[in-house]
Amino acid sequence: MTATLFAILYYVATLLLVVGVAMKMRRYAKAPAPLKIPTMPAPRTMKGVYFRMFREVVVFESLFKSNKWIWLFGYLFHFGMLVVVLRHFRYVTYDIWWWLELIQPFGIYASYLMVIGLMGLLVRRIVVERIRYISSPSDYLMLILLIAIAATGMGMTFVQPVDIVAVKGFFLGLLRLQINPLPSSPMLLIHLALVALLMIIFPISKLMHGPGIFFSPTRNQIDNSREKRHIAPWAKKLEE
Amino acid sequence: MAKLDMNAEGGPKFMADPFTIPDIKCGAMEDLDSYMAHPKHNTDLGFPGELIDNWQEVAIAKIGELAEKNRAFQVYLDSCVKCGACTDKCHYFLGTGDPKNMPVARQDLLRSVYRRYYTFAGKYFPKLVGARDLTREVLDEWYNYYHQCSQCRRCSVFCPYGIDTAEISMAARDIMNAVGKGQKYCNEIIAKAQDVGNNLGLNPKALRATLEDLEEDLEEETGLSVRIPLDEKGADILLITPSADFFADPHIDGLLGYAKVFHEAGVSWTVSSYASEAANFGMFIGSYENMRTLSLRIRQAAIDLGVKRIVFGECGHAWRVAYSFLNTLAGPFDFLDQDYPIPQHIMEFTHDMIQKGELNFDKSRNDHIRLTYHDSCNVARGAGMGGYEGGQFDLPREVLKACCNNYFDMDRDTTHESTFCCGGGGGLLTDELMDLRVKGASPRMTALKDVTDEHGVTHMAAICAICKTQFSKVMPKYGYEMDSIMSVHQLVASALILTGQEIEEDTAPEGNGVATEVSS
Amino acid sequence: MAYDVNGATIEHDEEGYITNLSEWSKELADVIATAEAVDMGEEHWAVVNFLRDYYEEYQIAPAVRVLIKSIKKSMGPEVGNNKYMYELFPYGPAKQACKIAGLPKPTGCV
Repeated sequence: MTATLFAILYYVATLLLVVGVAMKMRRYAKAPAPLKIPTMPAPRTMKGVYFRMFREVVVFESLFKSNKWIWLFGYLFHFGMLVVVLRHFRYVTYDIWWWLELIQPFGIYASYLMVIGLMGLLVRRIVVERIRYISSPSDYLMLILLIAIAATGMGMTFVQPVDIVAVKGFFLGLLRLQINPLPSSPMLLIHLALVALLMIIFPISKLMHGPGIFFSPTRNQIDNSREKRHIAPWAKKLEE
Repeated sequence: MAKLDMNAEGGPKFMADPFTIPDIKCGAMEDLDSYMAHPKHNTDLGFPGELIDNWQEVAIAKIGELAEKNRAFQVYLDSCVKCGACTDKCHYFLGTGDPKNMPVARQDLLRSVYRRYYTFAGKYFPKLVGARDLTREVLDEWYNYYHQCSQCRRCSVFCPYGIDTAEISMAARDIMNAVGKGQKYCNEIIAKAQDVGNNLGLNPKALRATLEDLEEDLEEETGLSVRIPLDEKGADILLITPSADFFADPHIDGLLGYAKVFHEAGVSWTVSSYASEAANFGMFIGSYENMRTLSLRIRQAAIDLGVKRIVFGECGHAWRVAYSFLNTLAGPFDFLDQDYPIPQHIMEFTHDMIQKGELNFDKSRNDHIRLTYHDSCNVARGAGMGGYEGGQFDLPREVLKACCNNYFDMDRDTTHESTFCCGGGGGLLTDELMDLRVKGASPRMTALKDVTDEHGVTHMAAICAICKTQFSKVMPKYGYEMDSIMSVHQLVASALILTGQEIEEDTAPEGNGVATEVSS
Repeated sequence: MAYDVNGATIEHDEEGYITNLSEWSKELADVIATAEAVDMGEEHWAVVNFLRDYYEEYQIAPAVRVLIKSIKKSMGPEVGNNKYMYELFPYGPAKQACKIAGLPKPTGCV
């Protein structure tokens, strides 16, 4: 029964995540940028733009320039989460890839970084007057949700170990459209439920900043407006 | 050295340093309203004269339309995570402490409404995500706080996703204009520029008289016939400069500088009475159509006068529109000489001349000045120069150093791409917003005071008409002389010795008492 | 929004510039000057008169530089300089003097 419920939940959550994000990205891609608005100074070649975007996505360059504390906590959280998520691939692959073996020992440490980062962001949101002012309930809840996911995940290592072989069996089954048994550990079920919730709200929340940054005209445009004419389709019609 | 009257009674105060974060003062600037446009100002631009009955419906529809027509608007409304990185980056927040002047909070005024009508979470859980209905109070709040943004883009430098509050504030003004809630300062000026050809309303006859008057001055000063041609067909270069250059100080001294440089370069050039304005206020109100109408005048003037090149004078927002948008709005310029940048900035022209060694400077003529340079926001973050990344920072400095011996930069975090706005940009250069303008200038004024204390800096140069006017009004309130703000080409002009120019003793420190002829 | 000149009502805009330029009179100039806390003397009148003459010919206010040059010619360099103009009209010879002279407000980046 639990297994069936979670199977349905994960099929639905995955569908909503994939379709939702794809639809949003299609919206972003469809909306033209009518004018050249890169934040200057900007790269003058496409290669330069890739490098700028790489720096933004990989080292959070602008955030680093802006605020060292937010950068530190944000980076710990995102980097930690990246390693943790990669490590979870072992639950959906039959054979473990070599690089998964490689990061395996770091998973636990990464989860520490993730939680430290999230706690830091949460404390700043509460303590710093300016950030408290701009925060809505959802901004706190999002951090709490992520902390809860991390905490229940870590709980399964430190507090209430689960039969991870069975968990892997469950997810491999989902990939083959089979419903295999799922251990009924509360820690696991809460963890899985929260992750599914995160997947569901991803496309309708500020989590869209992830895909969004790639569409940000101030970061992805080339500084070549004098050399190459840029015009949006709707603006072209004004000329007819 | 300027004597700073720091503690003038009731006057503005310098900050401890230019980045001092104030305590939050809710509602500190909520009563500041810039004058609403008169019905005629609005209808002249194709907007409803007064607030329409179904304004709410139209405004909401306009948000949806903009989200489809402008990727930046859509992506930026969705992407903000409220990290807070931008909260201490706006000069108006630093100067006023009003939390709605924090970039993210300013965006949220509109984002909250977008969420309410266009997102799942906002439709069903408005309280949870800070979504709210578009009420009359919200509209009035938009009007107030979107006219406290100078669209300087400093926040966009520091946002991890590049969210540009200028884009949101332009969109907000576009939405407000669509429902008949325009601002007088911007709309009156745009209508004037579309009618007469410039923001000032300077007609061809008056323009000609002014330029002839300036030619007299130039001849008196140099003994040479240095011309400022108007509407001369067949000239090589069309100069597009802000109309403030025909009217105000120190702008007009910059114009004299361009004239001298063109004279020395031996090029034929002309001003156009039809397109006698560089500034394009269409950008301030986020109106592509109005921006395009104004830009097309420049194209038309270039065609009518048969010029080969277009050069822009010192004007910040104008240069953003010229450099980044003109090709889009009024291109392609395939009828101009492709060997030169289209358009070119006067700074590029002068810099080029200096590189070639064709300008003869007597730098000692500027020795009474200890100078710094204010990077104008729209040049720094909205445009380029010199054909390479960051040229907009180097060229003006290199030109200044070529004609001044005493040059000192301000704190690096207040210059280049991190420059603080003068406090008067983006359609806020109007008297009823003076309180905001003075407070918004405080980070810049504080950075200036630091170099005055450290290096005895007396003057600051800029290449933007708004910056120049704003500083000449605001600097006296911070204890500087009003003429402490200078045009870059004013300094060029005072050091430039023209070929064949007679030098009198009192102006030439090295002179021997007899008028000497300088040859090059 | 109006000035009262000997019982006559003269409309002005939010900033005190009269809306119908033909309604200007010397008496009105005094009323506006009083509202602006400017005490009109001979030098003030020289500026106002020049502005009005210039406007009549060109339908626009002169550049500050042109104004100063003319005043310098007529009243000497002690009066005809930028600094002194701001002493006469603290809010600027362009804007404040135009208001008193019954000219429209110069608009733009000025």
